[in-house]
Amino acid sequence: MRPLVDDVTHTPVRSTSGASRDEQVAQSLYAQRERVYPREVHGLFATMRVLAVVVLLGLFYGVPWLHWDGQQLLLFDLPARQFHIFGLTLFPQDFIFLSAILIISALTLFFFTALAGRLWCGYACPQTVWTEVFLWIERKIEGDRRNQMKLDKSAWTGRKVAVKATKHGIWILFSLWTGFTFVGYFTPVLDLGARVMTLELGPWETFWILFYGFATYGNAGWMREQVCIYMCPYARFQSAMFDKNTLAISYDPGRGEPRGARKRSTDHKVAGLGDCIDCTMCVQVCPTGIDIRDGLQYQCIACAACIDACDRVMGQMGYDKGLIRYTTENALSGERPRILRPRVIAYAVVLLALVAAVGVGIASRTPLALDVIRDRNALYRETHEGLVENVYTLKLINMDDEDHRYEITVSGIDGMELGLDADLVPVAAHEILSISARVRTDPYSLTRASSTIVFTLQAVDDGRLRVEEEARFLGPVSPAR
Amino acid sequence: MQTNSESSSIPLVQRISAVLWPAFLCAGAATGVFFTFFDPIVLLECEGEPPMSRMGAYTLGFFMFWLLCVASSVGTSYFLSPQPRGPSHPAQTP
Repeated sequence: MRPLVDDVTHTPVRSTSGASRDEQVAQSLYAQRERVYPREVHGLFATMRVLAVVVLLGLFYGVPWLHWDGQQLLLFDLPARQFHIFGLTLFPQDFIFLSAILIISALTLFFFTALAGRLWCGYACPQTVWTEVFLWIERKIEGDRRNQMKLDKSAWTGRKVAVKATKHGIWILFSLWTGFTFVGYFTPVLDLGARVMTLELGPWETFWILFYGFATYGNAGWMREQVCIYMCPYARFQSAMFDKNTLAISYDPGRGEPRGARKRSTDHKVAGLGDCIDCTMCVQVCPTGIDIRDGLQYQCIACAACIDACDRVMGQMGYDKGLIRYTTENALSGERPRILRPRVIAYAVVLLALVAAVGVGIASRTPLALDVIRDRNALYRETHEGLVENVYTLKLINMDDEDHRYEITVSGIDGMELGLDADLVPVAAHEILSISARVRTDPYSLTRASSTIVFTLQAVDDGRLRVEEEARFLGPVSPAR
Repeated sequence: MQTNSESSSIPLVQRISAVLWPAFLCAGAATGVFFTFFDPIVLLECEGEPPMSRMGAYTLGFFMFWLLCVASSVGTSYFLSPQPRGPSHPAQTP
């Protein structure tokens, strides 16, 4: 049988910072990649991961189809420049909220990492979730780990071609469906689905479905653990959030060493052996192909497959479970583990403050905006009555879920007049309306070449809907007095 | 023990990922921020360019940002390669 991973060392390494450890990591990093064939594993954590996969992928593929009142519940409608998030409609003007939501997501990740290590990687990361599905498809078609390795080594026969073509065909179909769903988050999905059926997809939608489908196929089918090792920034910096009390998956070298094969009937304590029987099951199930017994490694995505595998072996040997387990560095070295630490509390406080700020911000946001754009063609013009006129384009953005009629007024210079085509301007829900506005004033009331004026937009049917926007009014430098 | 020339021979997949991937992330962020503030329809009208759907403009914008960021990443990757050492400077072990 071919070696399972690059190097299975039989020396326990407790510290992650020793020189030998660095050298080892460097060597495995620069070695030619050997394909990892993760062995199928059953157990508590495998079940939890399958559950996570079902729930998360169910959400991913299902949520775009949820509609309420004819409106897609979650739609980042890029063509219309509106984001619909479960009843809330955000516009480019609400950029700050979206940024805050992204920051909250990042902080949540940091919080859970400090508390319980790489929960994200093992159960929730799209790379893990999709790879899990691709592995499942692969096992259904090519068989278990041993059959897969045998098939890959064998010569190209008609059967091998058929098996491989079936696998890739199903992978590609699944990827295309994924790409379609992804685009369905950015353009109305019902409409998109109808156009797929009638083969009337636009060029850009087609492109993005293929692009995202290809990314899924490439990352989950081919790249797999290399995405975690070479591409994932989180994998590299997550150790900054770790401390000695962070939950991590560890091998207990004090209990396991010296490792070695033995018969089940052997009294290993008398034979001078630890609990590790060196069956390498923990290595065989590892999706990133590492040996957890070498200590904490950044390639470890904390999927806990090795825990399930080792617990099963320990059960068969009649030893206590938990030779590999979720534990903390402090617990392993016999110190008292602490859950509430300054780091965890700090993340929690910042997180809560941000969530509260965004909540208050969204609740008190005025669903109305006004953009004032000065006519670029002329600084100002003089009318035949001798007045100075500036022309503006007003963009009225009704971000509310209902239609409204608005009154527009202007202030800032004594005696100025506002010329509009209508006194009251109706704007439908979620609509943006551009209108032209002419502001005139007597040059004698101007004290400087550029004055500040204020446009006020007020809904006549709702007193709370009111916004003000400043603009510049330009006139002659030295008005004739 | 590793020499500098050995350490530069990182896998091709890592080198390609190290160029394309950060550039992809930065291009995504740049596209998001840029098009939040500038509506491509208005932008194209101002410049007198032929009209194009917003999706098309976003896509082209994204790839232009990606290309720019890839150029920067390629530069970084190239300049990170160690200088060849002459015989008068024996290779030092790290």
